[in-house]
Amino acid sequence: MKANPQIDELLCSFIDGELPLRQQTEVQRLVARDAEVARRLRQLQNCKNLVNALPAEPAPIDMLEQVKRSLERRTLLDSHAAPTVSRAGARHLKIRRFLAAAAMIALMGGLGAVVYQIVAPVSPAVSVRPVADAPRPIQVIPNAPSVAPAPVVVAGQGFSGRLELRTASLTQADAFIKAAIEDNGLKGFAETQTLADRRVYRIECSREGLDRLVADLGTIWTNFDSATLVVDTDRFADPVVIEPVTVRQIAQIVKQDSTEASVQVARGVVVLNSFAQAMPGGDILSTPENNTTMMIATPEIPRPRLASNDPATKAIPAPPQGGVQTTMTIVLLNTQ
Amino acid sequence: MPLSAASINIDDSVLVQRSQRGDLEAMERLILKYQGRIFNVILKISGNSDDAAELTQETFVKVIESIDKFKGRSSFYTWVFRIAVNLTLNYCQRNAKMATRSLDAEEDESDSQARQGLKDFLSDESAADPAVLAQRRELCDLAKQALLKLEEPQRAVMVLRDIEGMNYAEIADVLNIELGTVRSRLSRARSHLREVLEAMQK
Repeated sequence: MKANPQIDELLCSFIDGELPLRQQTEVQRLVARDAEVARRLRQLQNCKNLVNALPAEPAPIDMLEQVKRSLERRTLLDSHAAPTVSRAGARHLKIRRFLAAAAMIALMGGLGAVVYQIVAPVSPAVSVRPVADAPRPIQVIPNAPSVAPAPVVVAGQGFSGRLELRTASLTQADAFIKAAIEDNGLKGFAETQTLADRRVYRIECSREGLDRLVADLGTIWTNFDSATLVVDTDRFADPVVIEPVTVRQIAQIVKQDSTEASVQVARGVVVLNSFAQAMPGGDILSTPENNTTMMIATPEIPRPRLASNDPATKAIPAPPQGGVQTTMTIVLLNTQ
Repeated sequence: MPLSAASINIDDSVLVQRSQRGDLEAMERLILKYQGRIFNVILKISGNSDDAAELTQETFVKVIESIDKFKGRSSFYTWVFRIAVNLTLNYCQRNAKMATRSLDAEEDESDSQARQGLKDFLSDESAADPAVLAQRRELCDLAKQALLKLEEPQRAVMVLRDIEGMNYAEIADVLNIELGTVRSRLSRARSHLREVLEAMQK
């Protein structure tokens, strides 16, 4: 009988008991009717029996030990390989942690420096004045008047400092400042010195009087080539230097109730100016007056009253008496 | 008679759970329980006892390493046999040429007495008793050689059914094939084995 795959499949399933009862009955009938099918069934059955008769070989008696040894070998290999990987990973992790810590320290240091500059006294060595600028306001000016040295202010007083203004129109500026002193009723509180290349005005008056004078200076501020404010502190020869300074910044510093407050605001201005200069376009503060870059709250400055010869239009304020006393030395330098 | 698959599954789940919890004794019991049968199946498929020992060992190493991944979707019994058969079939594919040479050498050594015994077996129209056949060693040797002449997939199906005693569903599960494929593959395997034996008697 030539092998028929479909019959063989049916017969094999019959031999293995994998047929449903109905198909089993059909196969039994087929085998009973067809001798060739019956013969093929026996052949396939004998094949199965022959394979089934193959003796089972026992596993090696030390199989369990072999498995254990194999596991131990793999564990050893893994333990040799793993540390290399884990060591590299740990090293990488350590580097990342170190870099993160360094970045954090640097950030904290930067923040600390900013806070220190705002809070702590500014030493000359860390002054943020532009290096190239000359002459420096802190330096001794040749032929400086005797009123120029920075006084050591007493705590409780108001602002004390020096404003250096450089101008090519010395005569006009001198006339304006003298008029402004007189208009604000500060004539009795001011000493004036006239030198060849400069004018010096030492004014000791109330905070309000000085505030008004500063506001008046704002009207001719564009006539000044540069302006530097030196704010005295309670430490000798350790002033806060703001260069350049704007009239609004001066006003804000002057209006403080105490020397300490004025110094604090001055330090803040120094830091803000240095930030502004460090930023792109930061030289915007280099001009003597630029109100748009004032980064701190600025006071509303009353518009100055121009010096006028018409007494009817001028109301001379009452001389400052009592209140917070301020001291300002204005040095007007000729740049021509 | 091979043990039925159902009887093997007793206590397997408990032993597996204990093994998954790191109980080495439970794992040893599982190995001792299955090592003989795994070895026998691998030996019948690979045809080499040294290779079979090594593959059995590798099977249990894999079982131990993967026991945590065993989720119980199939029985442990079919899972462990799946690992064993896959390892063996992969091994056979890698060493196909070597196995053929080895088989040819063994064939030449079969003597005329064995061939006569085979001729008698094939010409016998009556159904042979496996117990009687097992006594005829020379016939069994020829049967082993003939088995190795089959393609590995057919050999694997035949070994799992006729030696290990798995039912068709379990074979399908172990080999990851359809039930119909098991049916047809087993039928072709037996038919082919008959042809090989007939060729060997000549």
